Amino acid sequence: MQIYLPIAEIPVDPFVVIFMGAAVGFLSGMFGVGGGFLMTPLLIFYGIPPAVAVGTEASQIVASSVSGVLAHLKRKTVDFLMGGFLVAGGGLGAVVGIKIFRYFRALGQIETFISITYVVFLGAIGALMMVESLRALLRSPDAPRPKRKHRSAEWMAAMPFAMRFRRSQLYISPIPPIILGFFVGVLAAIMGVGGGFIMVPAMLYILNMPTNVVIGTSLFQIIFVTAIATVLHAAANQTVDIILALLLLTGGVIGAQIGARAGRRLKGEQLRALLALIVLGVCARLLFGLVTPPASPFIVEVVS
Amino acid sequence: MIRLIPFLFILATVTPAPAADIAVALTNERIAVDTGFSGAKLTLFGAVEGIATPRETVDIISVIQGPATEFKIRKLEKNKLIWTPGKARIINEAPGLYLTTSTRPIGDIAPLPDQAAYRLGADFLGVTVEDHIGDDITGSVFANAFLSEAEDAGLYHDQVGGIEFKKGALFAINVDLPANTPVGEYTAAVYLYQDGVLLGRDSAALIVNKVGIERQIYDLAHERPVSYGLLCVVLSLFAGWAAALAFRK
Repeated sequence: MQIYLPIAEIPVDPFVVIFMGAAVGFLSGMFGVGGGFLMTPLLIFYGIPPAVAVGTEASQIVASSVSGVLAHLKRKTVDFLMGGFLVAGGGLGAVVGIKIFRYFRALGQIETFISITYVVFLGAIGALMMVESLRALLRSPDAPRPKRKHRSAEWMAAMPFAMRFRRSQLYISPIPPIILGFFVGVLAAIMGVGGGFIMVPAMLYILNMPTNVVIGTSLFQIIFVTAIATVLHAAANQTVDIILALLLLTGGVIGAQIGARAGRRLKGEQLRALLALIVLGVCARLLFGLVTPPASPFIVEVVS
Repeated sequence: MIRLIPFLFILATVTPAPAADIAVALTNERIAVDTGFSGAKLTLFGAVEGIATPRETVDIISVIQGPATEFKIRKLEKNKLIWTPGKARIINEAPGLYLTTSTRPIGDIAPLPDQAAYRLGADFLGVTVEDHIGDDITGSVFANAFLSEAEDAGLYHDQVGGIEFKKGALFAINVDLPANTPVGEYTAAVYLYQDGVLLGRDSAALIVNKVGIERQIYDLAHERPVSYGLLCVVLSLFAGWAAALAFRK
């Protein structure tokens, strides 16, 4: 069976797409990550035009983040004020990201640009995660774990307009969250990711937020930023394929449930080492695609 | 024109009336591309007139082509470590789809001047590259690359066989339109040959368009992109919420 995707303008097998959604959903349920950084490359490997993969993935992340954030809302582990500043920066970042995206698309280099961005980020994050989780696995269980500092860094304390973030138990300037949000917003628009893999460590180690509010607040900001990115991609590039997004979602929802159950059987360090391996694998595959001679040296496109 | 009429009249009476001719009709003049579209079968029906036993003695060539499209072609070049697309070159109008069907290889049926005149076969389409027309190596490299890419994509294809002679003068030509058939206006032409001589030709028009929900989504996304983007967000929000409800413990 084949379904013709209206925006990607290619026929795909819906079951393969649902399965891909389920596979990435499984991983994201297991590791507690959004999965955009795995889904977008997978769609590109499958033959979806990269620009459509990025635009469509943005809308799929909206859906998966909504279903994730509801539990956090109930547990009151979302810092709305912090989230608001992150969204303000993120919205601006998405606008800039779309501009960069359009610039490279007009040059005809968008595919290379997306691949290189992925290789850099997946490579860096994967390597960091790998080192960190291996260290944790090798560390003896009695050794004390690093504790959260109760004071923010000096450079952050020196910034103006400091205010109280009650849920995060912080008294800091809103400028660092806005800058962080902006940076992640740019990535969200260019890469078709939620950016949780940057946002979560940055919230923990730079903003110094407590662990319990980090995931909920990150999901909260991802919903808004990917929603903005979806509308911008649709408006500026016409690259959001709703049929593709709904197929991926169907698989993703089911996969995430199974993955969450499977994840409970593994230890945190093991999970992270495994995720690092997968991230490095995808990075290697993209790098391989960039450096190996193409099967056909020519690319033909319709001028629209 | 008025002065020409007597002359034409004389010409018509002097030239012997063509003994043989060909006529063609399509089973489907509209092909609908919907969400389930995975290619279509197209049948051209026709009749050969004025030949007693067409099955043994004539050759038929059919050419389905359309819609006139402008293409861009780029060559991947090694840039230090990685392969990046080079400068885009414009292919001056070429058909988006070009399918021939013939009883024997076209080169065996029609003489070269005919092949060139009627554009029988992709090599005779006269594909040119903008700013590289004429005796230009770059132009011919890219034009040839375009043809072979189009062939690999299944958009340009020459098929030998697939023409069935029915009872008497009737014949049917079966053509497979690929799943990536572009939408637009097409022509289906047939050429009747006997011993390398063109005896007659005919053509019919064909339209391929998008229909159904697929069409509506495409139109909405291109005509009202902001509304479409908002709709995508609303659908995603709803789907995420529904998923959370469905799996609530």
